[in-house]
Parts: sequence; structure tokens; C-alpha cells
Amino acid sequence: MKLFYAAASPFVRMVWVTALELGIADRIERIDGGTTPMDANPALAEANPVAKLPTLVTDDGEALYDSRVICEYLIVEAGNDTMLPAKGWEHWSALRRLALANGILDAAVLRRYEAAMRPAEKQWEGWSEGQRLKVVRALDELEREVDQLGGGATLGAIAVACALGYLDFRFGHENWRDSRPKLAAWYEDWAKRPSMTETVPAG
Amino acid sequence: MKLYASPRSPYVRKVRVAAHELGLSERLTLVEATPKNVIELVSPDNPLGQIPTLVLGDGTAIYDSPVVCDYLDTLHDRAPLIPRDGPARWQALKLQAVGDAMLDQAIAVYMDEGRPAERRDEALLDRRRTRLKRCLSALEDDAASLDEALTIGPIAVACALGYLDFRLGRYFWRPEQPDLEAWFDRFAERPSMRATQHPGPG
Repeated sequence: MKLFYAAASPFVRMVWVTALELGIADRIERIDGGTTPMDANPALAEANPVAKLPTLVTDDGEALYDSRVICEYLIVEAGNDTMLPAKGWEHWSALRRLALANGILDAAVLRRYEAAMRPAEKQWEGWSEGQRLKVVRALDELEREVDQLGGGATLGAIAVACALGYLDFRFGHENWRDSRPKLAAWYEDWAKRPSMTETVPAG
Repeated sequence: MKLYASPRSPYVRKVRVAAHELGLSERLTLVEATPKNVIELVSPDNPLGQIPTLVLGDGTAIYDSPVVCDYLDTLHDRAPLIPRDGPARWQALKLQAVGDAMLDQAIAVYMDEGRPAERRDEALLDRRRTRLKRCLSALEDDAASLDEALTIGPIAVACALGYLDFRLGRYFWRPEQPDLEAWFDRFAERPSMRATQHPGPG
């Protein structure tokens, strides 16, 4: 398998942490998916018309995306039955938490583009504030339900950890830990996993 | 089940089309959100304040739209909209990802076009339109595959195309994608699509 990769992308990190935790990372060759949010990498656009990272190319040559589809595929490939509970409340709860983490990342990444890519005179404070508040509410919810996150490598926990890692990476000055001591303590422990320390974002 | 919804949301439409195809429409109680009240209304159940959000009888909230569709697909005994395993599953989910990604771009274009002119970034808008056109062109090349099986994939693509008609105009995509247009016009006749049409512009 091949994975279009970039060290700064939180969605790529989510996939790579999943692969490391599943013990199948050595079956995946990482290819530089180097792209800006604006200009697509040509090889990536060839494999995936959406031209987004991450994109996985399976051993059969099929391109898969987006990150949640790739994670699910890797779980099936690895024959793992604990990372995403098969059914029941735990199953939907894990997928909901993954969606919550993705929602944090979508909003944070949009804010980052707004601040980093758009010329200053074209930025729109009101719009960015809406995205910021979305993250605030989602983090408050995670603080309330932190007991359900657990210490193991479930898909929900991986996604939340990658979302928090991204906030540290791009929005460290906003101190998400300040009013969320339980989530901060959970993350401090979870981020010690080798899958996390090997994938600290850069770039 | 309660579904926070809006007739203008293409992600809501995808969920409603899926429910309709599965014979589950009548089990959904729609609660309409507006741009003004959506955050206040939905955030007690989904802190992201986004629609669609499904709330089960026991108060369990389910989101986002792919997860809601996945959940609905467990509530019936018809052929699944998301094949349970094998290549068909990944194909369906990947196509859904294309439809959803097109919607992300189309919504961003529509929102950006609505910004005050001095806050609009034409270069960014162009790049988003380019992304959309690349997806449309890939779908046109493979339009025949959309007829193979009714899964969440073609439903997501149809909802994306319907939204392009609704917000960016018919001429945005139809002239350059005749096969896709012919497929969409047939698909749009399905009762599930007719029952969930976006309202007039606005």
C-alpha cells in the first residue's frame, strides 16, 4: 500500500497513528503528498480527483479516501476487532467521537487557512470567530465525556488525540488546556504512546 | 428519531434520500434549523452545531452525515446502501467521499461569493472551482459506473450535483459533463430525490 503523506496534516497523522497502532505501518510506503491547501500535487490529483491528503493506494491499485474510510480499511486489513467496536452503542459512540474530532480539525484547519493563506485585507473576523467557537464547544464536550475516551487505541481516541495535537501545533497560544483539566490529563498520558511521539507534526 | 434538518442543506438531503430509499422516512421527525438558530438549536445534541444530526429515542446523538447514513443502513432488511464488506464497500464509501468533498468546496464557493466584495479572495475562489471541476471531470469519465448499484456513493454524487444546480447554477457543470448530466437527470426522477428537492433560490 502507498500513502500520500505530509507531516503537517492532522488527517494524515490520524491514518498513520492508526497504522502504527495496528502494527501494519511497515506494509505502507509513504509518498510525499506535498501540497498547499491551494495547489494540488499532480500525482495526488491523478489518484484522487479531490486531491486531498491523506489518500491511500491499495495493493490492488485502488485509491481510497478520505481519512475515515482509510482508517476503516486499515482496521479490516489488519483483522483488528478492538479499535472500532463492531456494533452497539460503543460502535456509534466511537464514530460520533471521530466525527467530533474531525469537526474540530475542519474548523481549525479552515481558520488556519483563513489566517495563513488569505491576504490579511481579505480575512473576515466574524467568520473565523464562528469556527473558533465551534472548536470551543466541541472541546467542552470532550472534557465532559473524557471518562469514555479510555487509555487504549480506539479510533475515537486516536482522532481526538490527533485533533488536540493539531491545536497545540497551530493554536498553542490559545491554551485549550486552561479550562479542561481532565482532557489535558488524558492527552498528556495518551500522547506518550510511541505512535504519537513518532508523528509529532512538523512543517 | 429526530433529525435536525434544513431543506437547503445538501448533507441533510443525502440522509433524507438514503432514508427514503430504505423505507425509513416516516420514522424521521424533521426539526428545521435555520442559519440563525442552528447553533443554539443543535449544539445541546451536537456541539459542532451542524446539521444533519440524528437524535435517537434514548437521546443518543449521531453525526455527521456519513455516520447517520451508516446508522440508518442498520435499521432495515433491504439491500444495504453501504455494502457490508469487500471492494463494493470501499467503492461506495469513496464515491460518497467525492460527493461530500465536492459539497465542501461548493459550499465554500457559495459562502465566499456571499462575502462583502472587499473580503472576497478571487484567487482562492478560482482554486476551489478548479477542484470542483476536477471532480466533475473524473465523474464524467466514469459516469456509467454510477448506474451499477444503488449505494450511498451515487446518492452522495446526486446530492452534490443537485446542490450545484441550486447554489452555483446549472451552467456551472452541465455543459461540460453531458453523460453526468444525463445520469443525474434520470436519477433526479427517483421519488427519494423528488421528495427532497432544494427550495427555489434563497
